[in-house]
Parts: sequence; C-alpha cells; structure tokens
Amino acid sequence: MSAALLIEDLVKKFGTGKAAVDGVSFDVPAGEIVVLLGPSGCGKTTTLRCVAGLEHPTGGRISIGGRVVSEPERGTLVSPRERDIGMVFQSYAVWPHMTVHQNVAYPLKYRRKNTSGSDNIETKVRDTLELVGLGEYAQRPVTSLSGGQMQRVALARSLVYRPQLLLLDEPLSNLDSKLRIRLRDELRRILKMTGMTGLYVTHDQSEAVVLGDRIGVMKDGKLLQMAPPGEIYNRPADSFVANFTGASNVLKGKVLERNGDQAVIDLGAAGRISAWTPQPLSPGDNARVALRAENIRLGERGPANSFTGRVVERRYQGMQTIYDVEFGGQKVEVLELGTAARHNDGEVALTLPPDTCWAYRDEGQATVD
Amino acid sequence: MTATSAAALPASTEAAPAARRWAAPLWVGALLIILTFLVIYPLLMLFFGAISDSNPVIDGFGKFNPSLTHFIAVLGNENVRLAFFNALVACGGGTILAVVIGLAFSWIVVRTNTPFKGFIAGASMIPLFVPPLVAGVAWSILGSPKTGLLNTALKWSGIDFRFDFYSMSGLILVFGFYYAPYVYMFTASALRNMDPSLEEASEVAGASAFTTLFTVTFPLIAPAILAGSLLSFVVMLGIYGVPAALGAPANISVLTTYIFKLTAWAPPLYNTAAAVAILLMMVTAILVWAQQRVLSGRSFATVAGKAFRPRSLNLGPWRWLTFSLALVYLFVVVVLPTIALVIAAFRRFLFFKDFDAVFDMKAYSWVHFNSIFDNPLTMISIWNTMKVGVITAVVGGVLAFAIGYTINRTQVAGRKSIDLLSTIPVAIPGLVVGVAYLWAWIGLPGGLYGTIWILALAFVARFIPDTVKSLSTSFMQIHKELEEAAWICGRGLLSTIATIMVPLARPGIIASMTLLFVLAVRELGSSLFLYTSDTTVMAVLLLDYYEGGNIGKTAAFSLVQTVILGVLLGITTWLSRGSAESTARAG
Repeated sequence: MSAALLIEDLVKKFGTGKAAVDGVSFDVPAGEIVVLLGPSGCGKTTTLRCVAGLEHPTGGRISIGGRVVSEPERGTLVSPRERDIGMVFQSYAVWPHMTVHQNVAYPLKYRRKNTSGSDNIETKVRDTLELVGLGEYAQRPVTSLSGGQMQRVALARSLVYRPQLLLLDEPLSNLDSKLRIRLRDELRRILKMTGMTGLYVTHDQSEAVVLGDRIGVMKDGKLLQMAPPGEIYNRPADSFVANFTGASNVLKGKVLERNGDQAVIDLGAAGRISAWTPQPLSPGDNARVALRAENIRLGERGPANSFTGRVVERRYQGMQTIYDVEFGGQKVEVLELGTAARHNDGEVALTLPPDTCWAYRDEGQATVD
Repeated sequence: MTATSAAALPASTEAAPAARRWAAPLWVGALLIILTFLVIYPLLMLFFGAISDSNPVIDGFGKFNPSLTHFIAVLGNENVRLAFFNALVACGGGTILAVVIGLAFSWIVVRTNTPFKGFIAGASMIPLFVPPLVAGVAWSILGSPKTGLLNTALKWSGIDFRFDFYSMSGLILVFGFYYAPYVYMFTASALRNMDPSLEEASEVAGASAFTTLFTVTFPLIAPAILAGSLLSFVVMLGIYGVPAALGAPANISVLTTYIFKLTAWAPPLYNTAAAVAILLMMVTAILVWAQQRVLSGRSFATVAGKAFRPRSLNLGPWRWLTFSLALVYLFVVVVLPTIALVIAAFRRFLFFKDFDAVFDMKAYSWVHFNSIFDNPLTMISIWNTMKVGVITAVVGGVLAFAIGYTINRTQVAGRKSIDLLSTIPVAIPGLVVGVAYLWAWIGLPGGLYGTIWILALAFVARFIPDTVKSLSTSFMQIHKELEEAAWICGRGLLSTIATIMVPLARPGIIASMTLLFVLAVRELGSSLFLYTSDTTVMAVLLLDYYEGGNIGKTAAFSLVQTVILGVLLGITTWLSRGSAESTARAG
C-alpha cells in the first residue's frame, strides 16, 4: 500500500532565474515520514509540488514505489491524478460547495481502483471521518467548520483512498498556535496508524521534530542535511542548519588544532574552547562556534570550556529566564528554564559543554533572522 | 510560497497519447479561430472598406479597389470635420460636467456626514441603467424649445426664460448628467482608499478644510479623476441615442450620428461610413490606451496597505445642503424624465392649455400603448430582442468562460494572444462594431446578414472584454489549490472544471450572463446597421418611433422598454442574490 519515494538530483527552474530546487536527492522508505524544513523560498514547497506533479521538474528523476513519475530528460511526466498520491494543502482546499461527506467521498467516486460499490464508499468515508475525529460532522457543509476541522476534512479526503504516498504542504500553518500543537500531535498519530509514507513541508521546527522520522533542512534550493531529528538538533552538519534550528549564539575564532571531529578554537581574549566539528577544519582557519542558549550552564564550573563572565542583562519571562552574558569580549545568550531567576547581574561562572559547541568554517555568511 | 502560478496543466502522462498531446494546441487554435472570426475578420473588412471605393452590395464580395486617396478624401471632408468637432465639443463639455458632478458626489458620499449616504450612493448609479435613447427621448419631451414640458411650465410661471435641449448645450447637459457615474465610480474608490492622515497633515499645517480639498485631496486622486473622465469621454463618444434624439432636430451631427446618416442615404455610402468609423475607432483606441496607462502607472500615494476608516467631515447644518444637492440631481436625472415619459405616454396630445390641464384625467388614455401594440413590429421586436439576448448571454457566457479559464488557469502556449484578441473590442465603439459586421457579412450571400445571429455575434464580440474580465475576477477568487486537490484526487481537467470550477464560479457566471443579456437588450449602436425588418429589435424600433415624430408612441414604447429592462434587472438581482445566498452558505 504505502510505497517508497525516491528523488534523484531534482532540479526545478522557473523562467531564467536561478534554480528554485537545485540538485536535491533523498529517499523516503515506505511507511516513513520525512519533513522538509527551511525558511520560505528555500525550495521545499517546489520540491513537494514536483513530487505531486503540479510542477514539472527541469531535471532529475522522481520515482514513487519504483515507478518513475517524472524524468524530464526522457520526457516522462505522469499527471498528478495518475500518481496515486494524496495531498493536504496549506489553504486546506476543501471544496466550499460540498458537505464534509461529499468532500471526502469525492476521490473515491472517480478512481479506477477501489470502486467496489457505494456501500464500500460509505464505509470508507465513515471510517476515515472517525479516524480524523469528524464522525459526527459528515452531513455538515464544510464552511460551517472551524479551520482545524477543515484541515481534518482535507486530511480525511487525502487518506480515504489510501494513496501510496501522502504529501502535506504546511498543513498547520493557517491554524492558531494552540490548535496547531494539538493537531500536530494527532497528525503524527493518524499517519503512523495508517502506516502512510509521508512527505511533509514546513518552516516550523517544532512541527518537524514531532512529525518527522527524518528531517531534511533546505536552503536556497539545496538539501543541507537529512537526518533523524535528534541528529539535526545535536549534530547539525552545517552552520545554517545549526542556526535555523535555534543555535543562535555564535563565537568567532581561529582553529588551533583538530583531532578527528574534535577541534580547539582560539577565541582571543576569552581563551580557548573545544568543540565538535563535522567539517575538516585546518589550524589557522577562521571558525564560528555555534551553540544553543539552553545548552550553556550558568553558575557551574565543568571540566572543560569553563569561563568566568558577567551577566549584563537579565530578561525574566516567567517560565524561563534569558541572560546576556559577556566573557572575554564574546557575548552569549543563556536560557535557563524554571520560574526562578537564579542569577543576578555581575560576575558568574559558565560552562559551554564541548559536545554542544559546534565549530564550522567561517564563510562570513549571515545568520538567519 | 514558491510561485504557485507556474503550475501546469496535468495533461501529459508517461506515454502521452497523441490525442492528449495535441489537446492544448487544438484548444488554443480553436479559440483563436473563433476570436478571429468574431473580432479580427470584421475589423479587417472595415479597414478594406475604408480604403476602397467598391460597394459591397452592388459589386459583390470579391472586388475592391484599394486606394488610400479615398480615406484621405473622407478625412478632408468638411462634414466629417464638423461632426468630429461637434463630437469633441459635446463629449468634452459633457465630461467636464460629469467630472464636476461625479467628484462632488464621491466627496459627499465618502467624505462627509451627509444623511442617507447609502441611499445617495445607490441612487446615483441609476443613470447607468438608463438606455441613452430613452434619456434622449425624455429630455426632448422636457426640453424641446416649443412644446417642451419645462418650457410650458416656465410659460405658466410667467418666467421669460426658455430651455432648448435641441442644442449643443442640451447635448452637453444630458451627457454630463448621465455619465457622471463613470467618474464617480473611480473617484469614490480612490477617496475611500486614501490615507486620511495625508489630509490631516495638511490641516495640521494650517490649511482650511476647503484648501485641503483642492491642494491635497483632489491632486492626490488626480489619476482616478483622469481615468474616470477618459472613460466617460470614450463612452459618450460612442453613444448614438442621445445625439440622435437631441442633436438631429438642430442639425448637429456628431461622429456616430454622421456615420449612420451615411449608411441611410440612397445609395448608402458604406465606404465613407467605414472610413469615418475607423476615425472614431482610432480616437477611442488612443483614449482607452491613455486610460489604461493612467490606471496602470498609478502612483497613488494614497493607497497604504493598512485598513482605515475614511475620514468623514462633519458638515454641521450644511449637510442638509449637500443632501438636497443630491436630491436635486436625482430629481433631474431620474424623476423628471420619468414623469415626462409617463405624461407623454398616457396623454392623447402633448399640449397644455393651462396648469390645470395637467390633471385633466380625460386627456389621459392607453391610446398610444394600443397603437404600438397594434403594430406587429412591436411584438416582433420584443421577441427578437429576447432571442438575441439569450443567444448573446449563452454564446458570450460560454466563450468568456473558455477564454477566462484558458487565460487565468492554464499555462498553454498562445494564451497571451487569446488575451490580446479578446481585449481588442474594448477600443471599438458599438457603432463601429456594427459597421464592421455590416462590411464583413453584407456581401456574403447566404451568410449571417439578415439573421438575428449577426446581431448576437456582434454583441458577443462587443461585450467579450467586459465579460472575460468579470469572469476572471471570479476565477481569481477561487484558490488554485481547490483545483489541484481535485487533480490529486484523480480527476481530469474537464471533470475538475465541471465539479469544482463551475459550481464555485456560479454566482460570477450567472452575473456575467445576465449582464450580457441586459446589455444586449439595450444595445442600439451596433444594431442600427445589422437589423432588417424581420430582425428588428426594441432599441431600433424605439428610434423608428422617435424619428417618425410621434412623441406619444415613442414615450409609450420607452416605458415598455424600461419596464422590460426593470423586470430583467429585478430577475437578475434576484437570481444573483439567490446564488449569493447559496455561496454565503457554502463559502
């Protein structure tokens, strides 16, 4: 039922400008959910629409369940309706002139397979509506539903015929934040329950982490890293990935030595810092060390990367407190959870655990705002 | 987030069958051929006619002797120059008056606390629905120099002043009164979208409200004023009914009436008519182009992206003055002409010995109505008008849907040409469409000429730009993803259109088709050249009655036409409200 998706060297150019998708390759094994994460304009939605067949790729190859559906070099292009896929759109795209039931039954009525009578259709629609929690809403006009319910209808409509691949294009971004969190968790449950292969596009990290078996981070049409969420968060392969997933502190320095994936960086007046690095840095290279605000320990002196700094500003936010800390001419933000702000302005000890400091070659790139 | 507009037709497949691969080019080709047939061919024939001196009726279709000298001779003709000059004066003067009225109204409605603004706003659009010939007839009843009702009233009051609407100033007044809504539409929306802080800044700087109006407000909406006045000028330029009713008795020819006069002579001067029609079309095209330029290059500093309430000026007791100004306008444009038509239609003779005679019930009767319905042509014309209206609405609606969908929703090669071809008629006055269709079909034996189809097709060609535009607007309101969702669900292009696009665009489709129907019913300019005695329509017959000189019958038939139009408009609103309700329910 579910099928694997394979994307090889996908290229999509609009007009004559630079490629919106520039040589992206990855696969989604059957039953897995892959999330494409990136800022707007990074090419993630274009990639998804190429898989759907709504955009025609300029180059590369897309196969679903072993069948090539797009390969421009050989003139292969299967139309969306013959790809046997489901898709949930950002705007929900539920048809306002139909009831919930009509929306969900629509794909069943006109598919060549699965049409074993109208009883069957009734059962499938009812089961799917139960699955998404809309069992009692079948006869309502869709426009009487709330945004979250409409998105459930859209989801039911794309699941009801059990397509071999489900595509989700920022399905939660039009919902308010509380609802988004609830639906996000439920979405994961439903997708896993149906065993669907999924490709999910979002710019929201928290959605990506919860939903994805693996996350692919994209920027400027390129896929930077494709890995399970834990790896994206703890071993970002690239300073953009580190920054985009929230490692907003950057310390600049020079590489002193490197040993395997460990490097020592000279931060100038602040002293030395050891860090993990995925890149083959050489002594003398300019380096930026990225680390997350919540990984810095205040008021602790650990065995390595321990410094003395000064709290210059404290921002109490109720559930957490953010401190601006200066040490040796460097400035970092530190986040401590808990309702108590434990540190006062003035001198403070801080530890930057080497495992959470990630060193990358300094290519002078800007950070993501 | 990334260009969704670049989506493509889901038409091709793995091993695309030849039929499917050719579907798009065949479709585009078919549309281009239809548009060529409707628009380009008649225009080409018009051009050939203008530069040739062979008569298509006498010489048949095949023969013409192209020569520019003919065209140049026409341009040099004194009568043509006079008609051209008259048209410029009448439309220019009318436009100035329309700008004054339209601007005042938009200011009153948008920017002041004048009472009953909603009513004023709605009522000030009524003149748009009055057929030009009916307005002309009504004002000739009111303002003819000897028997005009206004002059009769003046005589009783012992006032020594007499109106004469059979004059250039009469033309200008009626043009200005009835085409002010075009200016109003543009300026009212510009005023509504204008950031009030721009005016507040001026008043903080020390200017009075009056100074602000003329130094900040009006200069800022200048592009809207210009666009509105260019549009009303173009519309006036193409109007036949008003100058036919008011200009003809005083021997004032404008371009439109002159063109018709040329074809009414014996033998008809079709070539000269074509040449003058080209002249009229060129002037119109230049103005339409200028108007588009003004609209596209609008540097309205006024449109800020945020929402705000338009500032409304507290006029104090003066608000009753602005209110009564509005009432006076409505009285002059709607009430007075209606009274005039009713009196003329029901009175045996339009002569009043004294004021009391107005209320002498013995003088009123249905005699004029009886006599128009005794005329078999009356029922024929009503029946023909309905047929032409239905054909225009159906053919035009379907064609506009096909064109609108192709232009807006597909990526097929050649859609730009379709867009261009379907926009051309914007720059062609109805009367010129009529002359062009005359040239295109009169010489073809067994062709369209003499059938009601030639009228309907001419109307379709004339109104296709507006219909496509209004349908495109309703297409744009339908999110692309609603269609894509159906494709993903396994539907093809055609069944997606049938199950998703048509139901969702239904209110827009109904509105466009009923508008087409109404426009076709009241169209006079292009009908003039295309009707025969079997295919006469209401607008043409009304002109016949008027030119026959019987004011009573003319007024009676005007009322009949107005009632029919009113009923149609009523049905239209009812239909579109019905569908608006169902969409409100459905989305």
